[in-house]
Amino acid sequence: KKINEFGETGPAFPNLERLWGGGSAVIDMENMDDTSGSSFEDMGEMHQRMKEEEEVTEEAAAAEDGEDGEFLGMKGIKGQLGRQVADEVWQAGKRQASKAFNLYANIDILRPYFDVEPVQVRNRLLESLIPVRMINFPQKVAGELYGPMMLVFTLVAILLHGMKTSGTVIREGTLMGTAIGTCFGYWLGVSSFIYFLAYLCNAQITMLQMLSLLGYGLFGHCVVLLVTYNVHFHSLFYILWLIIGGLSTIRMVAVLLSRTVGQTPRLILCGTLAALHMLFLLYLHFTYHKIVEGILDTLEGPNIPPIQRVARDVPVVSANLVNVTLKAVGLAS
Amino acid sequence: MIKLCFSHDLQVLYFNNHIFILYTPLNDTLQAETAALVYLPLDYLLMSFVFEELGINFQHIQQKTLTVLNPLKQTDGSIMNETDLTGPVVFCLALGTTLLLAGKVHFGYVYGISALGCLGMYMLLNLMSRIEVSCGCVASVLGYCLLPMVSLSSFAVFFSLQSIFGIVLAVIVIGWCSLSASKIFVATLAMDGQQLLIAYPCALLYGVFALLTVF
Repeated sequence: KKINEFGETGPAFPNLERLWGGGSAVIDMENMDDTSGSSFEDMGEMHQRMKEEEEVTEEAAAAEDGEDGEFLGMKGIKGQLGRQVADEVWQAGKRQASKAFNLYANIDILRPYFDVEPVQVRNRLLESLIPVRMINFPQKVAGELYGPMMLVFTLVAILLHGMKTSGTVIREGTLMGTAIGTCFGYWLGVSSFIYFLAYLCNAQITMLQMLSLLGYGLFGHCVVLLVTYNVHFHSLFYILWLIIGGLSTIRMVAVLLSRTVGQTPRLILCGTLAALHMLFLLYLHFTYHKIVEGILDTLEGPNIPPIQRVARDVPVVSANLVNVTLKAVGLAS
Repeated sequence: MIKLCFSHDLQVLYFNNHIFILYTPLNDTLQAETAALVYLPLDYLLMSFVFEELGINFQHIQQKTLTVLNPLKQTDGSIMNETDLTGPVVFCLALGTTLLLAGKVHFGYVYGISALGCLGMYMLLNLMSRIEVSCGCVASVLGYCLLPMVSLSSFAVFFSLQSIFGIVLAVIVIGWCSLSASKIFVATLAMDGQQLLIAYPCALLYGVFALLTVF
């Protein structure tokens, strides 16, 4: 708000300033409302203000030529006053939006997390399958985002490949959208959830470290899925699920254990992470693998029920039906 | 013979689809006259003006295409000083056309994946390199390195790629594309020692194109 020499506040329209206050001492109060401490914001605001003042003086010069002193909105909203109001609102909004954009969409803050060498990435990938022994003092967690992001994209590619090979049809959405949503949703969602639990359980881990840890934990998932989407053996999948999935889970759990104190917090945090990580691999495998078996069954003969994973009371079926089903599963030659 | 321009020392004439430019400088004494005549085929003249207006330089396009086709040859960083999107657009259209010939109408997917891939690579490269790179440069490099994928999809018109041989061929082509792309990026952005780190995201992107082609 602008205050003139009489101490009265006046309109915010610079054009009318000279008509109202006669161009005398005016205190611009706008700066005092600014509570930001960042010099970057001040610079941005100063720059914006300078640009605006230029534009406003240009407008004033243009308006002077056009109007014959009809200033108080004789034509209403469509008149000079209305236009100036709209302009002020637009300028204010634009200023706020560009300030917010410059502050939050600054991608440079992520730059240090992508500064890696190929050897480092390779070592971290191999270490993600090797559980640490010492859980008495906090283990080091690599704080980088290149490896985890590439692993998530690799998982997306493997999922897409698996979906294409098994002929999956997604009705609500696209294959690509589903794959990206699943993988990124898991990485970001579970990281955030575990970070939240870690905050509740007083564990010493930052969000970046959690993202990095979980991202590298997906390496085991990528390996298992790459093998089992191409080689269809149930027993092989279960063995790999236990060994490779287990190793990467134990590694993540050990790191978290080393950074948490207390039995109950450790149990909650590590139990949740282990359960989510192992179940995700099961989910990824069975969501798309089942389709393959379904297709094989329908191709081999009519009226074959879907694969029963749990032992149920099977009504009277013919021996032929049982044989065909066993052949499809691969348990009998 | 049609006279297009007639001044005291310069005549521009049109005859038989050729432009003749006759320059006869007159010296003071008018004793010796020299003349110079040059003729140009009209189409070449007009098209060269058109291409220059549009910024299309066939020599550069040819040079960049040869660089892509030979991934093991050393390349210098100045190759991408001018952003050229003609080649990439032509290659995307060629990929869509060859997919069409194989019975798959996937133009939308090709454009969408190219756009998203360019955006992703642009963000990643800006984060990883000290030299700032423009989106046009990234799009140009990725588009040029799509050429081996076009050859794979034209091969897929005649032979099905859903076999071991097809998968091996697809993997070779993906490696070829990503090696070329990473080589050009490393040369342009002076990121020595990080070629593998750039080749991997390129391989993922071209892998999605290969999925489109194979399945």
